[in-house]
Amino acid sequence: MRVERPSLLRRLIEPPNLETLAPIPKVATYAALIAWSLVVLMPLYWVVITSFKLPVEVDTGPYYLPFIDFRPSLDAWHYIFVDLGNDTLRPYANSVVVALASTTLAVLIGSLAAYALVRIRFKVKFASIVAFIALVIGVIVAVVELQVPWQLAVVIAIALFILSLGTIARRFRAGLGNNDIEFWIISNRIMPPVVAVLPIYIMFQQLHLLDTHIALISTYTAVNLPIVVWLTRDFFAGVPIDLEESAEMDGASKFRVFFTIALPLVRSGLVATFMLVLILAWNEYLLALFLSNANAQTMPLLVSAQNGTRGPQWWYMSVLIVIMVAPVVVVAMFLQKHIARGLLVGAVKG
Amino acid sequence: MTVALETKHTTAVSTGFAEWIDRQSGRIMVLPAVLLILTFALFPLIVSAYLALSRFALASGGYRLTFVGLYNFRRLLVGVQQYHFLGTFKTFGPLAWILLAIVLLGLLMWLTRYVRSGRAGVFGLIGRLISASVAAGVTLAVLATIVAGGFPGSFVTTLFYVFAGVAVQFVLGLGLALLCAQPIRARNWFRVIFFIPLTVTPVGIAYTFRMLADMQKGPFEPVIHWLGLGEWSWATEPWSARFIIIVGDTWQWTPFLFIVLLAAIESQPRDQIEAARLDGASNLQIFRDVTWPSIAPVAATVVLIRLIEAFKIIDLPNVLTNGGPGLATESMTLHAFIAWRTQDLGGSAAIGYILLFISTVTCVSFFNYVVMCARGYQS
Amino acid sequence: MRISLSDVRKSFGSVEVVKGLNLDVEDGEFLVLLGASGSGKTTALRMIAGLETVSDGRIAIGGRDVTDVLPKYRDVAMVFQSYALYPHKTVFDNIAYPLAVRKRPKAEIEAAVKDVARQVQLDALLDRYPRQLSGGQRQRVALARAIIRRPAAFLMDEPLSNLDAKLRGHMRAELKHMQHKLGITTIYVTHDQIEAMTLAHRVAVLERGVLQQLDTPANIYNRPANLFVAGFIGSPPMNFLDGELVDGRFSAVAGSFGTTSRATRTQAVAGIRPEDCRVAAPSDGQIAGDVYATELIGDHTLVTCRCGGEMVTVKADKEFDRSVGEAIGVALAPRAIHLFDRQSGDRIV
Repeated sequence: MRVERPSLLRRLIEPPNLETLAPIPKVATYAALIAWSLVVLMPLYWVVITSFKLPVEVDTGPYYLPFIDFRPSLDAWHYIFVDLGNDTLRPYANSVVVALASTTLAVLIGSLAAYALVRIRFKVKFASIVAFIALVIGVIVAVVELQVPWQLAVVIAIALFILSLGTIARRFRAGLGNNDIEFWIISNRIMPPVVAVLPIYIMFQQLHLLDTHIALISTYTAVNLPIVVWLTRDFFAGVPIDLEESAEMDGASKFRVFFTIALPLVRSGLVATFMLVLILAWNEYLLALFLSNANAQTMPLLVSAQNGTRGPQWWYMSVLIVIMVAPVVVVAMFLQKHIARGLLVGAVKG
Repeated sequence: MTVALETKHTTAVSTGFAEWIDRQSGRIMVLPAVLLILTFALFPLIVSAYLALSRFALASGGYRLTFVGLYNFRRLLVGVQQYHFLGTFKTFGPLAWILLAIVLLGLLMWLTRYVRSGRAGVFGLIGRLISASVAAGVTLAVLATIVAGGFPGSFVTTLFYVFAGVAVQFVLGLGLALLCAQPIRARNWFRVIFFIPLTVTPVGIAYTFRMLADMQKGPFEPVIHWLGLGEWSWATEPWSARFIIIVGDTWQWTPFLFIVLLAAIESQPRDQIEAARLDGASNLQIFRDVTWPSIAPVAATVVLIRLIEAFKIIDLPNVLTNGGPGLATESMTLHAFIAWRTQDLGGSAAIGYILLFISTVTCVSFFNYVVMCARGYQS
Repeated sequence: MRISLSDVRKSFGSVEVVKGLNLDVEDGEFLVLLGASGSGKTTALRMIAGLETVSDGRIAIGGRDVTDVLPKYRDVAMVFQSYALYPHKTVFDNIAYPLAVRKRPKAEIEAAVKDVARQVQLDALLDRYPRQLSGGQRQRVALARAIIRRPAAFLMDEPLSNLDAKLRGHMRAELKHMQHKLGITTIYVTHDQIEAMTLAHRVAVLERGVLQQLDTPANIYNRPANLFVAGFIGSPPMNFLDGELVDGRFSAVAGSFGTTSRATRTQAVAGIRPEDCRVAAPSDGQIAGDVYATELIGDHTLVTCRCGGEMVTVKADKEFDRSVGEAIGVALAPRAIHLFDRQSGDRIV
């Protein structure tokens, strides 16, 4: 048998089989990937070591390695946790409470709605939509121009709406189906929060709910609903309907079927969605900026409030950033696979 | 044999409360979600529309809203605030005219091709006309401010962030995904590491990047000193400031594209790849002929998702540069926030609405013309 | 081109899928790798193509050691079970791909594609896309794409298994004719013994990574080398009787009879094909039993008899009319009796 020996150049560039890389491509690939890893990790590393620096060390120039370039100290940490104790703990607790509560609600409500949209046929009449919009405009005009107290206007509007559902809506056949409702819910993601935040601010102001947990939780829940519906919809669509049908034939109500059969089957997808929404809620900035102040302040706001007049005090800021970022990063690292799968499902189904 | 016939009278099934609930269960299940979205999305949208059409003024004991029609919009687009929103225009030079001609010609050709294709419909034509006119308007604004040597306002700056940012993030994400899809051993490690930026709070990363970009105290100081740039600050030049924002945005969002594209590349049809390898195709040819057609639908969708989010950018411009120098890095959301802070609720809502409009047109257009086209790649 | 595998092994992790395979394929031969799923036949084919690495051993094509050579340099073409057509390219572009990739001039490509398309009767469909074609048409596109390069060898991985039965029969004849005309060495993987028998010059029967027998279809059928091959080939399958062999006389529970052998084995298996049996009166046949079931096939009847606890299927003529439970005898042609060692499964000469 003649054994072939390709030239040295070829051996460096082309692999001998399909399961390995040739030397040069291998080195280049690893180099590029490691380079990007450094890009990813470098800011985080910098924040962490800065939290262990003294002010003088930060101001006099870059020191890179703890114990070698500079002596790490716990001064900044001490200040943040002990001296500022409650001022740090409160926003942190707020973040935890708001994120967990809103995520749980969003996943619950969203998956319920997604399930209904997948399994049940809906028809929303155009007439009722038009009536709704007209009534909202009516309420606004009444409150602003005619000085009607808004509580009265809202009550009258709701009454009129229910009335119209029963009469006008019944006359018109044309309506929107499941796909349209889904599209509407999901398309709310396109809306920039800044458009909605002003009226929401006014609404909470009138209800005297500004700067409370309730305000943030309810807003976050509403904002994240589209994502939950979008993702869980595909999970539910992938569950074979036979299991649910046999349960219904045995007499289970639709709610029971949802909680005892459908939900457990999409468990891993729900975990992924929960994690994704949790990250979004934890990191949220704009709405908290408008809607909260001293009481319900969340971590992102606390961090941005560190902008002192002389410039940010990087050492304190770093501690805050570390404790704000660390939990989510750690959680994400462990659940990366789940979250990635959730993202992929959403992207593939589009 | 006679068969006795028995007529059974079936008693009407009593509809208990539980039965009624079950029949309404669909509506009940959807109700909370719909209510929340109506309250926090649709209702505010309408109120915002009203705000955008009125002027807010503090009056004794409260406030006063007067209906002013399109005043706020006029102010932003052609009036006093035009320099802030659209930017400062300069007269077109030859380059600007040439570019404008190319773009307008391209749009015209696109429209005529559609009309001639025989599949044209009324809605399709109206949609395309809207997309084309918006594209033309945007091109005018961009050319007048950037190419002609003027100063871009928040509108043009936002578009810059969106298109330049997403383009860079897509190319980087695709490149990283292709590299990671090679037969290497540490693939899962890289996956986990590359995923991290997605989870980091944008505000936190904004401050961190400010630290990193510090010319005197940041970690790059030696390099900057060696390059002789020690006295220069990136925050004082509009384009370098915008560049730093793009860097921060890319650091944060490339992982999103990377993760989805990597998963898509991993699920491409293996047998086509093997057939191509046997046929003698090089890596580049395999990418062009098998990989790209296979991942095109997912790639288009994920770019769309990223586009939708990119329009909303605020954390980075607010924290990293405070919108500066001057107005150079202000995004539309940041502009709206500043307007709100100065009690200009009407202006703030107007900016929000224009942002909504441009987002929607861009995303719907992208969906119709790119995503649907990419989906046609597959059998 | 000759293809030879020398002591080729393949393991996935700790599982050895191909164990010491030795194979020599002659130039222009149609060799069928026949086996059940998991037998290693597809893995062996993919190793020849270069799509899988070899854990041990060497592979040579045309006298050239290709074990460490990339697939594109091996000069082989493969037809996949799923056809692996490029969905966004036309039939023309699919067939032209091997030449387009090598940057052949456009005129040459066009002529070659038209020529090959004519050979597989696809000339009218060159502008279509794969999704507009039927299964049989797609298969012909895959075939054309393999032919166009005039490779040193064709490798085919169960190309007919996705077609319906009628089309399969037609394509079998087409494939055989084409291979004969082109004279290109072909290695064909299948689990269908009919394809193996009809298409092959020689058949290599594989079971759990080990080559059981490499021989012509006739020899595989008439002189199976072991119990596995004997039971795998032939439909309806060969009948097996456990028993004892003394000096060439075989005794089982159902009866005893003489054979052409002179061997002695305490644990032996006698095999006889249904068509080599005849129904007879209970006292006339070498073995006796009762009728268990009868199936009228059309031109013959399959009679399953329960003889001494074991089932024996006999091919009787279509007028067979005995009923279930009737006592019956089975006559065996001594020359058609195959004898195997029960322990090793090997043929007893």
